[in-house]
Amino acid sequence: MKIEGEYIFNGPREDVWELVRDPDVLVTALPGAKDLNQVGENEYEGEMNVRIGPVAGFFSGRIVVSDEVPPESYTLSVEGKGNPGFAKGTGRVQLIEQGDGTTLMRYEGEMQIGGRLAGVGQRLIDTASKSMIRQGLETLNQALQARVAARSEGKEEGAYKPPSEAEFATAVAKDMAGEMLSSARTRMILIAIAVAIVIIIVAVVLISTGGGN
Amino acid sequence: MTEKYIGKRLTRNEDPRLLTGQALFVDDVEIPGMLHAAFLRSDYAHARLRSINVSAARSRPGVVAVYTAEDMGDAWQPGPPLVSPPPTVEDIVFHSRTQVPLVKDKVRLAGEPLAVVIAESRYVAEDALDDIVVELEPLGAVVDLEKALEPDAPLVHDDLEFNLAAHLIQEKGDYAAAREKADLIIRRRIVIDRGTAAAMENRGIVAHWDEKSQQLTLWDTTQAPIPIRNGLAGMFGLSTHQVRVIAPFVGGGFGPKIMMFCPEEVVLTWATLQLGRPIKWIEDRRENFYATNQERGQVHDAELALTHDGRILGLRDDFIHDTGAYDPYGLTVPLNTQCHAFGPYAIPTYYGDLKVVFTNRPIVSPLRGAGRPQGVFVIERLLDVAAKKLGIDKVEIRKRNLLPPDVFPYDNKIIDQAFVSLVYDSGNYRPVLEKAAAMIGYDRFLSEEQPRLRAEGRHVGIGIVSFIETTGIGPYEGARVTVETSGKVSAATGVGTQGQGHFTSFAQIVADQLGVSPRDVNLVTGDTSEFHWGTGTFASRGAVVAGNAVNAAALTVRAKILKLASKVLEVPEEKLELEDGRVRVTGVPQQSISLGELAVLANPLRGAVEPGTEPGLEATAYFGPKYGATASGSHAMILEVDPETMMIEIRRYVLVEDCGTVINPLIVEGQLHGGVALGIGNSYYEQLMYDENGQLLNASFADYLIPTASEVPRVEIGHEETPSPLNPLGNKGVGEGGCIPVPAVFAQALEDALADYAIEILEVPMSPDKLFELLQGKGKEQ
Repeated sequence: MKIEGEYIFNGPREDVWELVRDPDVLVTALPGAKDLNQVGENEYEGEMNVRIGPVAGFFSGRIVVSDEVPPESYTLSVEGKGNPGFAKGTGRVQLIEQGDGTTLMRYEGEMQIGGRLAGVGQRLIDTASKSMIRQGLETLNQALQARVAARSEGKEEGAYKPPSEAEFATAVAKDMAGEMLSSARTRMILIAIAVAIVIIIVAVVLISTGGGN
Repeated sequence: MTEKYIGKRLTRNEDPRLLTGQALFVDDVEIPGMLHAAFLRSDYAHARLRSINVSAARSRPGVVAVYTAEDMGDAWQPGPPLVSPPPTVEDIVFHSRTQVPLVKDKVRLAGEPLAVVIAESRYVAEDALDDIVVELEPLGAVVDLEKALEPDAPLVHDDLEFNLAAHLIQEKGDYAAAREKADLIIRRRIVIDRGTAAAMENRGIVAHWDEKSQQLTLWDTTQAPIPIRNGLAGMFGLSTHQVRVIAPFVGGGFGPKIMMFCPEEVVLTWATLQLGRPIKWIEDRRENFYATNQERGQVHDAELALTHDGRILGLRDDFIHDTGAYDPYGLTVPLNTQCHAFGPYAIPTYYGDLKVVFTNRPIVSPLRGAGRPQGVFVIERLLDVAAKKLGIDKVEIRKRNLLPPDVFPYDNKIIDQAFVSLVYDSGNYRPVLEKAAAMIGYDRFLSEEQPRLRAEGRHVGIGIVSFIETTGIGPYEGARVTVETSGKVSAATGVGTQGQGHFTSFAQIVADQLGVSPRDVNLVTGDTSEFHWGTGTFASRGAVVAGNAVNAAALTVRAKILKLASKVLEVPEEKLELEDGRVRVTGVPQQSISLGELAVLANPLRGAVEPGTEPGLEATAYFGPKYGATASGSHAMILEVDPETMMIEIRRYVLVEDCGTVINPLIVEGQLHGGVALGIGNSYYEQLMYDENGQLLNASFADYLIPTASEVPRVEIGHEETPSPLNPLGNKGVGEGGCIPVPAVFAQALEDALADYAIEILEVPMSPDKLFELLQGKGKEQ
């Protein structure tokens, strides 16, 4: 499965870079995720309990960051497996300064999915992955804006409150429904096979220069 | 005159039990202290097993045992090859690689079992699967049939040089010379993909080793209880008398349930021997998609050589057959394909190069049709293309090539799945084809209806094809018929039953021989303690082989009845008749004795039995045909398609079947209806989609579409009866016939409906998407 897309962050590139290298922030963009732990210089492991529709279970993933060019680009290799199946892929993420104070994130990658995720969730994988990535990035953008706003007011931290797991799931479901209707798909069973996709989000948004806290 | 039951539309003896929920299925078996098994299956299609740690699973409360391949020790053995490699063909390549109970070193298909958890409940067992830590190193997967043979393809079996499981060339006459003389050569690439049987009941097993009685009992959804009993006894060092296999009512067999031995059968048997407690495993639907055998994947490069007036000079059919990760079933399926490409036609020369490949997909073994639909699809498609090129009508080109009725037995001079020459025992093909054409109104449709519909802008087409089906193969089956002292009759046979109506058809056979009502004949089937010998229910052979064994046993019992009655009534046998459960003196109906009374007299408590006589009114008999009985048929269809939405509607479906003597038309027609439904699925709906990593992408009925009542039309059925000379009843099998020619007739009708697009359907299953793609660029003027 090919994954590609773009997203505009309302903030300067350095701030986006800093944001996406902060595992504590990233976890808030991934409902159901336990923490992301650094296990090597550029290696992270995370765990996630997913319980949506017929695909439910524990998923553990490993992320390796390479080819890093701060604050411009990096490559992510992701491997996740668990009761719902497995996912494996690599993706390239680029941050491009827009010149108007915003930053364009461009991502593309290849994903291989297996087990129940592939067998039962195939039909929704495309839609679900796009929706979850979009919602995850949306959450990060809000966090970014909270940070930027806090700084301009001279405070240390922004008063940003991440969305609850339920809020996130609702947003994804709405997004998917819209996507499916617009692409004239007939069946609207919102089972969410999104575990792999969640891992992708982790991948897409995680950044590390080896020094996260 | 005594009432005859063979040929009667009798409602089925078994239906009251089935319809009121009183029939025993494997999942109904409940034994105190019974444990439940769940299998951990590989998510990867091809991977090396690095390590497997089950200690956490073992310590979960409620878990009794967790086993891996290592735990099985010497009991871990690859399964036996079910069908020996063909010995009679020169230069044959055949590599036997059979399935294993649990993966030891390498995973070869997604769904292959890695470990089994035995627990107090299925819930606990399934939860414990999550506790098992497996390290699998993924390997490149072999999925595409043609790529499987490329030199750099990953190897499914590391000890082989290539993924070639078998290579065989069959020849009849000189095809090359025939090709030289031909006026027209039609060569096409034809692709047929996989489907699953989708039986209503998945597989299930209850295995129970009783330590005190030293008896192993296995309730199993198998189609072959006796070979399972024999094999398990051999594997685990037990006498066959210590092993009882019961195949109770089974919700559909369709072929995959004849698999011997599926890993679960071996693992559960071994586990109950370890634990001394009964263990149940019921396959769930997803497991069924991943781990139950499938069929049909082939890629053909086929060529038909013809004269200008449409007569076949020769057929070349080179193809690759996908056997999946293992090949326990040898060459049964692809040999059926080779043979059935001959159809009911006179094909004087043939060249067929068959390559069988290993892939990282589930094992291929016969699935209702068993290679036959592919062969029929190939020859019928080539004939259709030829008819179009030569401007000959579709029915006419077939008529010109049908074997005439005076050539039988007809030897096609190639070997069939039983490794003997493919001989058609009997047949009369032209009346079958003509009847089908008449029933569907072929001429009127073409001359009146179709032009009218086309003028209305509708796309309605007609298809009509002919086929033969080898059925009722050996080696043998047996039966025991007993008149009970109640006057009722019991009959026992070794074949299992999965919905074929054996309880009724066999009762009709007995009823005719013994002059009783079929309602008073009780059949026992699929229980190895009731009947000791036999092979199983497969290859459309139950009614032919077991049916004739029942007939033979009943005939012997009839003789015993007459002999005893003659003595008791003091009347010569010729003056006796059997009717209404009594033996009567012809013309003197008041002078009679009931079968029950005779049964008592045949088993006396006192007095001497004459030397040489046997007690009771009972006989056991066996029947084995010389070779299979050849059934035939013609199917016709009128189909409408909307080239905007690609939705189809089958407006009429007509079939004429010649299965020799029909024992029960109601049952035969039920078989045909079910077969047609599967065939329609194989034509437009049911395709297992795998990605290049061997991942099944539609492993649920939400995505794998089986035709429902709205897709299956009313099927109009006509019969012709050309009795088989190979058995006393004169019958031929009909269990698979319904599905075999459906993709061929479907493709023809669809092409005809879309005649203005000039497409060729050379692939099944088709689908709305594929049809859409095919029509792209071929569109008529909009």
